[in-house]
Amino acid sequence: MSETAAPPSLLETRGITFELDAFIVSAAFDRAGGQAAFGLGDGTVRLARLDAPRTLQVAQAHDGAVLALAADARPHGFVSGGDDGRLVRLDGEGAATEIAGFGGKWVEQVTSFADPKIGLLACAAGKFVHLFDADGEKLKSCEHPSTVTGIAFDGRGKRVAASHYNGATLWFVASKSDAGRRLEWKGSHIGVAMHPAAEAVVTAMQENALHGWRLPDAHDMRMSGYPAKTESLSFTRSGKYLASSGADSIVLWPFFGGGPMGKPPIELAQIEGVLCTRVTCHPVEEVAAAGFADGSVVVAEIPTKRVLRVSPPGRGPVTALAWSGDGGWLAYGTETGFSALVDFNKRG
Amino acid sequence: MQTNLVPVTVLTGFLGAGKTTLLNRILTEDHGRRYAVVINEFGELGVDNDLVVDADEEVFEMNNGCICCTVRGDLIRIVGGLMKRAKKFDGIIIETTGLANPAPVAQTFFVDEGVRAKARLDAIITVVDAKNVLARLTDTEEAAAQIAFADVIVLNKLDLVSENELAAVKARIAEINRFARVITATRSDVPVTDILDIGAFDLARITALDPDFLEVDDHGHSEGVNSVSFEVSRPIDAHKFQQWIGTLLQEKGQDLLRTKGILAYPNEGRRFAFQAVHMIADGDFVGPWPAGSARKSRLVFIGRDLNRPQLRRGFEACQVAA
Repeated sequence: MSETAAPPSLLETRGITFELDAFIVSAAFDRAGGQAAFGLGDGTVRLARLDAPRTLQVAQAHDGAVLALAADARPHGFVSGGDDGRLVRLDGEGAATEIAGFGGKWVEQVTSFADPKIGLLACAAGKFVHLFDADGEKLKSCEHPSTVTGIAFDGRGKRVAASHYNGATLWFVASKSDAGRRLEWKGSHIGVAMHPAAEAVVTAMQENALHGWRLPDAHDMRMSGYPAKTESLSFTRSGKYLASSGADSIVLWPFFGGGPMGKPPIELAQIEGVLCTRVTCHPVEEVAAAGFADGSVVVAEIPTKRVLRVSPPGRGPVTALAWSGDGGWLAYGTETGFSALVDFNKRG
Repeated sequence: MQTNLVPVTVLTGFLGAGKTTLLNRILTEDHGRRYAVVINEFGELGVDNDLVVDADEEVFEMNNGCICCTVRGDLIRIVGGLMKRAKKFDGIIIETTGLANPAPVAQTFFVDEGVRAKARLDAIITVVDAKNVLARLTDTEEAAAQIAFADVIVLNKLDLVSENELAAVKARIAEINRFARVITATRSDVPVTDILDIGAFDLARITALDPDFLEVDDHGHSEGVNSVSFEVSRPIDAHKFQQWIGTLLQEKGQDLLRTKGILAYPNEGRRFAFQAVHMIADGDFVGPWPAGSARKSRLVFIGRDLNRPQLRRGFEACQVAA
């Protein structure tokens, strides 16, 4: 039999790649869908216009490392947090302005929410979650018993969940006198995801497991069996599946028909012995993208279990992964500074 | 393999013992190395360094059925965060609060896979105030724990004690932990090379379980924190040892602060090194026995209420049949 050369990967046929020479901490797309951004361990954010993506613009965002990056609540631009204790807004031109500073506390978590009526920004610094409106005006600060390790808005921007030691706390964004609703489970919770229809809050735990609370009754859900810690969690748009990292495949828990309790997860795109490090679900379809510790990137269609290899192994563990708002682009980056934008839009 | 891992030095000691002075001395000395410094929010003095991280000393208990397995979640995050920085550094120094128990810091470096992949615990350095340490040992539990955990004890403020007082302090320290290296100092003036990058948790360096320290004294039960060591001459049955030490750490791990050993297995040219912090153990082969040396197995325990005869009998029973 003759050997056939492997077909070119999507990265080769539809990707634009960059060697950035610093840890890629996070990737994001702006809400208008015109720009992608990579947050780096050298404190910069690199911006790419999707209509001319080969040139990156360098924005000096932080003195130290970028620790978190998200789309701004406005149509254009991004917000970033760094180990210089600052929450920074970057406009589409890459100009940086400080929204807030928190002294010696690292800003490790940043997220935003926007719909036609409201825009919200949230960041975590130490034990606090700070909420801002789209103009960067502080709405409130929510205190927790220990450092906040993850924040997530629900699908309507009404509530925000924060993970910390011994559980998570749910806050009503609009309430001024809200004491927060504590969801308790002993141990260190290191990240959080919120079901898009607010049916559940799920946290990742230090002990290689997930914990969930069904809402509104706070019934506990335990999802275990991971060989490593889950660093990345993402619900599909419909809320039917929760994708997670921490195994050598994408682990998807069903959140329908009584699940995830008593239901085994679906495992897709297994790469034997290689940990999945990042997952992110498509904004429109029942599709999850995943990055692995060997640098592989895949896209999996959940209903058909079809897996599309985006990138072959190499170039370091995947540490950043994001879909654009319309799902037309996938951005990813690795520990070694390799990063890419892959075009999934129909051609011709 | 260990060489790519960032060395982590833990500085413990009571408030006023001279920890921050030592830290500033390390940082200002002309060694050409860059350190990331993790300080607690109740630090005594300012720390002069470009890379200072404020930590909250957030300890939690692992849900792994091991009641003494406490870990510092803040350090897991900080080590992870520091590794993202583009400007690299040569080591991390963690200063703990005066009343901190060193166990959670040490255990963090054994328990968390992410941390283990990037960093290695190099040594625990305890700064002790020669003038006040005896009083602290009577009025707190943490003082004994800090001495017991130490690889190096900086016996500071020498100028404030008489020779007799110093001798009494040294004797008391030796009672608690006879395996730590004691360095005397006046204003934390210690050579940096004696405390940084010394590999005290490196299994390959657990060779200095100095037989000079072996005691003949085998009287019963000791109250409080102290240290004991044993030596046996017949090879150790690996299976028996694992069973015995596993059960021992499980049952008495809360009181066993640190355990170290060098073992000779039958028909094995290499030494097996073993260490544990409370219940968390780690062991591996670490190279051949030196030619001509007696292949004697040694085991050291530093802990509370150690039952010496029982430990001795247990270890002796792990030998292969004569």
